[in-house]
Amino acid sequence: MVSGRFLARRFGHGVVVVWAIVTVVFLLRYSTPGSVVTTIAPLDASPQLKAQIARELSLHEPLHVQYATYLGDLLRLDLGHSYVNNTSVRQLLASRLPQTLDLAIAATIVAIVIAIPLGVVSATRRHTPTDYAATSFSLVGISTPNFWLGLVLVLVFSVGMGWFPVSGPARANGEVISAIDVLYAPQLAGRWLTHLALPAVTLGTYFTALLTRLTRSGVVEELDQSYVRTLRSSGLPPVVIRYQHVLRNALVPVVTVLGLQLGTLIGGAVITERVFAWHGLGSLLIDAINDRDWMVVQGCLIVIGVGFVVINAVVDGIYTRLDPEVSME
Amino acid sequence: MMFTPRTRRALRRTLRRQLLPKLGVVLFGLLVVGALCAPLLAPHDPTTQQLDEKLRPPIGFSGQTEQTSSQLVDGEVKTVTETTTISATWTHPLGTDALGRDMLSRVLYGARTSLLVGLLGTTVAAIIGVPTGLIAGYYGGRIDDALMRSGDVMLAFPSLVLAVALVGLFGTATVRIPDPWVVLGITPAMPAHVVLPGTVVLVVGLVNWVWLARIARGEAMGLANAPYVLAARSVGASDRFILRRHVLPNALTPILVLATIQVATIILLESALAFLGFTGTTLSWGFDVSQGRDLLSTAWWVTTIPGFAIVFAVFAVNLIGDWFRDALDPGIDADGGGGP
Amino acid sequence: MSDMDGGRTVDRRTVLRSLGTVMATVSVAGCSSDTPEQSTDTTTAGDELSVTVTQGTPPDTLDPHNHRSTPTENVVRQAYEGLLARDASGAVTERLATGYDRKEAGRVRFTLREDVSFHSGSTLQPADVVFSIRRIVDPSVGIESAQRDQLSGITDAEVVDGKHAVDVITEGPNPLVVNQLATYCDIVEKQWVTESGEGTVTQEMNGTGPFKQTTYEANTRVAFEPFSSYWGPSPGPTALTIDAATEASVRVNSLLEGESDLVVNVPPQEVQRIESNDASALATAPSTRILYVAMRSDVEPFDSQQFRQAMNYAVDLESIVEDILNGFGKGTGQPTLEEFVGFDDSIEPYPHDPDRAEQLIEESGHAGTSVTLHSPQGRYLKDVEIAQAVVGMIDSLSNVSADLQQRETNALIGELTDGDRSTMPHMYLIGWGNATFDATKTLIPTLGCGEVLSSFCAESLDEEVQTSLETTDQSKRQELLSAVNSEYHDLAPWIFLHQQFSVYGVDQRLEWTARRDERIEAATIARSN
Repeated sequence: MVSGRFLARRFGHGVVVVWAIVTVVFLLRYSTPGSVVTTIAPLDASPQLKAQIARELSLHEPLHVQYATYLGDLLRLDLGHSYVNNTSVRQLLASRLPQTLDLAIAATIVAIVIAIPLGVVSATRRHTPTDYAATSFSLVGISTPNFWLGLVLVLVFSVGMGWFPVSGPARANGEVISAIDVLYAPQLAGRWLTHLALPAVTLGTYFTALLTRLTRSGVVEELDQSYVRTLRSSGLPPVVIRYQHVLRNALVPVVTVLGLQLGTLIGGAVITERVFAWHGLGSLLIDAINDRDWMVVQGCLIVIGVGFVVINAVVDGIYTRLDPEVSME
Repeated sequence: MMFTPRTRRALRRTLRRQLLPKLGVVLFGLLVVGALCAPLLAPHDPTTQQLDEKLRPPIGFSGQTEQTSSQLVDGEVKTVTETTTISATWTHPLGTDALGRDMLSRVLYGARTSLLVGLLGTTVAAIIGVPTGLIAGYYGGRIDDALMRSGDVMLAFPSLVLAVALVGLFGTATVRIPDPWVVLGITPAMPAHVVLPGTVVLVVGLVNWVWLARIARGEAMGLANAPYVLAARSVGASDRFILRRHVLPNALTPILVLATIQVATIILLESALAFLGFTGTTLSWGFDVSQGRDLLSTAWWVTTIPGFAIVFAVFAVNLIGDWFRDALDPGIDADGGGGP
Repeated sequence: MSDMDGGRTVDRRTVLRSLGTVMATVSVAGCSSDTPEQSTDTTTAGDELSVTVTQGTPPDTLDPHNHRSTPTENVVRQAYEGLLARDASGAVTERLATGYDRKEAGRVRFTLREDVSFHSGSTLQPADVVFSIRRIVDPSVGIESAQRDQLSGITDAEVVDGKHAVDVITEGPNPLVVNQLATYCDIVEKQWVTESGEGTVTQEMNGTGPFKQTTYEANTRVAFEPFSSYWGPSPGPTALTIDAATEASVRVNSLLEGESDLVVNVPPQEVQRIESNDASALATAPSTRILYVAMRSDVEPFDSQQFRQAMNYAVDLESIVEDILNGFGKGTGQPTLEEFVGFDDSIEPYPHDPDRAEQLIEESGHAGTSVTLHSPQGRYLKDVEIAQAVVGMIDSLSNVSADLQQRETNALIGELTDGDRSTMPHMYLIGWGNATFDATKTLIPTLGCGEVLSSFCAESLDEEVQTSLETTDQSKRQELLSAVNSEYHDLAPWIFLHQQFSVYGVDQRLEWTARRDERIEAATIARSN
């Protein structure tokens, strides 16, 4: 079904984009006035430390040597050293990534579970009160800044009702727990979920609203196609038509856009993590910018950018399964 | 000439038939009037602090509150808690914040920052994105590949992530624009300048141009082989002339629709940056929300009111965007650009 | 679940985790955490007492000799100890030294406690103490310490032959050496520091203190367990975590939810929530910290005394204390606090007088200028509001404009302490904590000529302060220093703000007393009955 040549091309394209991403990130350090060393070194760096940084990153060599050092380090999965926190950037990122993944995946699940049925119902009952309610919800949803939504949810459900913790990730023995820990210690699931609930809803709302709109317009378009009429006249039950034929086709553009919007999700995670004192990549990034810790900022940009490309490659894989015609291209 | 008579008719028809576009026009009108005439409408200077008027609730929310104060007695801190009444006043219809600044005035002035950044940011995005997209689509081939790959690279970074990184690198420069109302002497007591977060305008434009480029490219690809373009080329018209006189005007409608959605996206982005303290201006809804965080349990209105203002503005712009899209049907889904 | 099962689980989990994350490394969390079956947080099963302390700012390093902030001190002081210490009221007590006596002018001998071990297992040697002092006072040993002025007057230390003691060498008859060592100079292990390298010292702690570090996540938290071979009484808590939350509301909420047990800087509007909650209580103390806005006298317009005075007249200090701090602070008019040696009790704070301020600005010739205040956020009680109020009050003058730059605390402190004056803000809000109860430890570092953190320079006053350091007669010192303070009132190097009151929220199940010096000695936390 899916031709090897297509996959190879897709892979090649991905590699080129990844290369471009890391190159752009490399060039960003030269975009500020002043020397590169001052961009990378901590504010109170001693001359010795500055010299050490320059040595480790070949900063006094010609540009192409610096670039080669940078690419070489990346190929060995070495994201460098945080000179502000004096620790390996890779380790910092690895300790934060599970938290952001938890949040992003939970938000995506919230979005898919709510948005797809809502979009379908809204489309099949066009111009009914249900449709108007769904449309208004999704309009308000894409208009609400999630930092504010998070604060309001905290105000109502944590401060007011006391149902959920106000902020922070779930911990066991002082250690932050993520989905992987819950797999091995299911008794922690309850605590993990209560901590995850509000941040996930906060982050998921914009996405839910967006997905509802996309699903609705996709289904509306499909319902107008002639094959639907043919299927209807053949006597298939409407539910089967709706979910097996129409939705399958309508989802093709939805999935593509969903992949592209994952960036939005990660961007939203930055803010959500800030509101809920969540220890993920987003708060790491903001802290690093405030600390002027360029190596960590660079590491975050690379992981987020490359992650985006990888996820979109996977999405394209799903896409080709949903719509075999793509592989004929 | 933005719209052809036909599209104008389509817009009018949708406006007449549907409720939401009407609502959008009204809300957006209110937003623009509020922003333009903020010095006339605001009851107070939004930056004036009156500490003895701090934390007044909005009209209708007067109530009792417990207040704790403290004194040093013989080297020990003694605290006294008393119940006081906090009463709303018509002097401050939406209440005041922790420093006694008038919330209504801040909301009105905040509209200026949001709208200015939204419109100017979109303009910057369009200035970069539209020509790039048109050229890519018109020429196709390697030029297309190169330009659109660079777009893919931009897309790989969430706009908020890239924006905070860029603001972190470049710092936050602001531009002070004299306020015409004050210059003309109509409202001499109001702030003399509108503080425009200049770096942020450039950055939000820079991180959002790709969406406009993609739509422009799609249109240009379709038009590159249109009969009148081929005809123009056969009589020796330059590519530049063709792009400007034939391709751009015909691609304008979908670009405008997307640009409208972009305004909403950028307003959200600005508020997020301001919330994080990355814009360099303090007269902004997002910033006000962040100021109220510590008061969430005691003075809900300090975060809630500017938050509502953001929802109001973005909702209004989105309604306008939906209206354009429904009326003109340029084949854009609601996927225009990364939100916060 | 049997032990064997547990072991296998750990292995599989480790493998899975490394596969599951993009970066194939284990998390920085220590292996001690691989038993998530036990219930956690702040539970107090049996004799367990797990305590979480939430500050406003995370530590900027774990190196006890290379920082200038109380939040960092509060972290490193759990693991490190000095020769002397202070009790909650400020009185000097013995710690790693069991006694001291002045041998001759410029030499004080400290006898060390026997059988003290470091967390690494080594025993405390006099050479470690000498190395620690030199690491601070001598830039050629180890690092260029940010704490040099805290030990000003101390020039060196020497091992005493044949005795378990060290001699501290001072310049002249330094009357303050005991005061200084009671507040500063944590003792590190020489061999460990030199062998593991300066990078490690910023990440790991190896002291003699009651707590041993188990985990450090930069910008997030530090976890400790009791040190089993501690020489003194075992600490109250059986597990200790110190984390940070910039927003006061987050700190208070986590206390009310039981996620944190001791939170700093509770703002006045939250006091009521803590008191009305059955599970929490308030602890307060007037602190030894003075808040001020420094104005660098080496740049325009702050080189003008009239302009600086105008700034003081512009600020309505009374209103700031009453309306923003709800009385949780006390207005000041000189760099030194009441109860300190050198306080001049005849001086009142500058009154609020905008007209006088405008007139002084005219006279200074800087009319029409604009100033920018840099301020930290979350570091001091209501710091953001105070900074905004100050800026608002200055901006409301007709002939000057002001705006505010809110900064991330550690970034601002970094700019102030890095010694590079070109990047140092011209006007900044900061709080200076001086736990020695002596005016000189404020006057020298913050106002002395050429000091890293100083914003001012008046050589004649520096000389007076220097004289006071060589004077052992207390009433003479008081006289000298109060004259200096009175001069500083007129010179107005700062916009004088207030003495901060420390307001903590504490979980009811804990017994703990707030200290004047803002230190948190977690070992003294006990279970309340």
